[in-house]
Amino acid sequence: MRDSDVNVCRELRKQIYLTAERGGLGHLASCYSCLEILYALYVKGILNCTRDNLKSPDRDRLILSKGHAGLALYWVMCEAGLLDAEEIKTFLQRGSHVGGEPCMRDLPGIEASTGSLGHGLSMGVGMAIAQKMDGTDARTFVIIGDGECEEGTIWEAALSAPAFRLNNLVVILDCNEIQKMTSVAETIAHTNWAEKWQSFGWLVKEADGHDPEALEALFRERNDTDRPLLIIAHTIKGKGVSIMENNPIWHFKLPNRKEKKIFQAELGISDEEMI
Amino acid sequence: MQRAYISKLMELAEADERVLHLVADSGTGFDEMFRRNFPGRMLNFGIAEEHMTAVAAGLATAGKVPFVYTAGAFLAYRSLEFIRDDICFQNLNVKIVGMGSGLAWSSLGPSHHTTEDIAVLRALPNLRILSPATPLQVAACVEEAHSCTGPVYIRIGMNNEKEFFEDGYRLPDSGQDALRGDKGAASGKRVVVFCTGSILEDVMGAADILEEAGIAATVVNVARIKPFDGDNLLRYAENADMLVTVEEHNIYGGLGGIAAEVLAGHGAGKRLFRIGLNDVFAEGYGKSQETVREANHLDALSIARAVERECL
Repeated sequence: MRDSDVNVCRELRKQIYLTAERGGLGHLASCYSCLEILYALYVKGILNCTRDNLKSPDRDRLILSKGHAGLALYWVMCEAGLLDAEEIKTFLQRGSHVGGEPCMRDLPGIEASTGSLGHGLSMGVGMAIAQKMDGTDARTFVIIGDGECEEGTIWEAALSAPAFRLNNLVVILDCNEIQKMTSVAETIAHTNWAEKWQSFGWLVKEADGHDPEALEALFRERNDTDRPLLIIAHTIKGKGVSIMENNPIWHFKLPNRKEKKIFQAELGISDEEMI
Repeated sequence: MQRAYISKLMELAEADERVLHLVADSGTGFDEMFRRNFPGRMLNFGIAEEHMTAVAAGLATAGKVPFVYTAGAFLAYRSLEFIRDDICFQNLNVKIVGMGSGLAWSSLGPSHHTTEDIAVLRALPNLRILSPATPLQVAACVEEAHSCTGPVYIRIGMNNEKEFFEDGYRLPDSGQDALRGDKGAASGKRVVVFCTGSILEDVMGAADILEEAGIAATVVNVARIKPFDGDNLLRYAENADMLVTVEEHNIYGGLGGIAAEVLAGHGAGKRLFRIGLNDVFAEGYGKSQETVREANHLDALSIARAVERECL
């Protein structure tokens, strides 16, 4: 991984934490799990989105179906020049319209309002069908969680998308193996995602979900099949702060005074910046 | 009404290439006509109503005008959260068309009835709700749904409902049509009956029976449930001794609930008698919808007798 990518992602983690801390609440662990996925899509130039083409039928679409990671989306969009930092910093402040889940009413460039799980993939199927109908080369990307795959509509969409030959649809499974209460494997026992999605007719690839270059390379590959693509991105929930990693208690928690010291040290936050 | 719906949809699809027909394994011969005439514009998502509803939202973000079509129960109840979050909250231009509304699936029982859909969906912001009574009114409602931008729910019946309107019918601004003025009956008692959906036929029959019994009855058919023209209702209520609502729906939250809100909200102090399902699931089965109406006291004679009793 390039040093520049590492540094930018660390800075983004820092901003996400400080924003949540200022707001008083936040789903940090979910944000840190899919940060490099969002970074590769927006900052590495995979999505052709600019401030000027946010309504164009030729734009690529990104839906963050696991909406809890909204703060990661906002900060990555800011890094890509699509949102203003000052606006994001109003998160949860009185009078602000920046909240915890992506909302197309509240911010430009949000392609779908999410929050309740199992909605984004089906909306993405609709967008990908429309892109095909309109004859554009644009693609639709949807980020879902592995815990989210417990929702029934994920499988309705998984059954349906291959029937429409949506090779312009890319689903990234943020596979951090943890959900709110416990591990995904303990909850549903059989987490053989590759086998499941392949059997539904999807092209399936796997990658290190924290390696922007590896993700970028996969996103740039042409899909010459008539199948939609699922990329299983192996990730760590809470990646970037050692005490958060792989521990479900961090699902919707901010650090206490003692834990803040670890956040500060590992995210490179100065005393002046700390809240 | 289904035939009227598809005919109108084909007319719109001819003129507007954004119009798409979405089904969930719910098509019939009528829908095949659409597929033949507009290849590629009828999309079948299989038995997956929630998915279809969310896909429609995705299509609408790209400027398409999807008409989502399946049994009303599978939309209003099964797909409720998808209607709420994806269509209404995002305020997208999706038309949700529930067929077999009320007790129209007469042989299948409450799993297929749609007798709480108005109550459930009326609470959703941004959603317009249309409830036509006849085939010509279906065409007018589909026209209105297409001409306005934003979410619309249309509840339609099956087929061969009695027609009460004339060719070229359009929805009036109020969304309400007075179909039968009272003829000034002997006893001096006057009622005005508001109804919605294909039960209009029984309500018209009930009004005739009431007239014979000396109770003057005006019938107003309500096709636009939301936004609701309360002023129109108040005008009719003013000249009546009692306002009656009749619907193939729970008396809670539907037309009866709307009338109660309007009357109380305006301090009208008018007697209101709500006829419908009295907070129960419908009883009985039959080949015809009329049989199930009879089993639930929603046929013309039962409606008339109930109003007579209330007038005593």
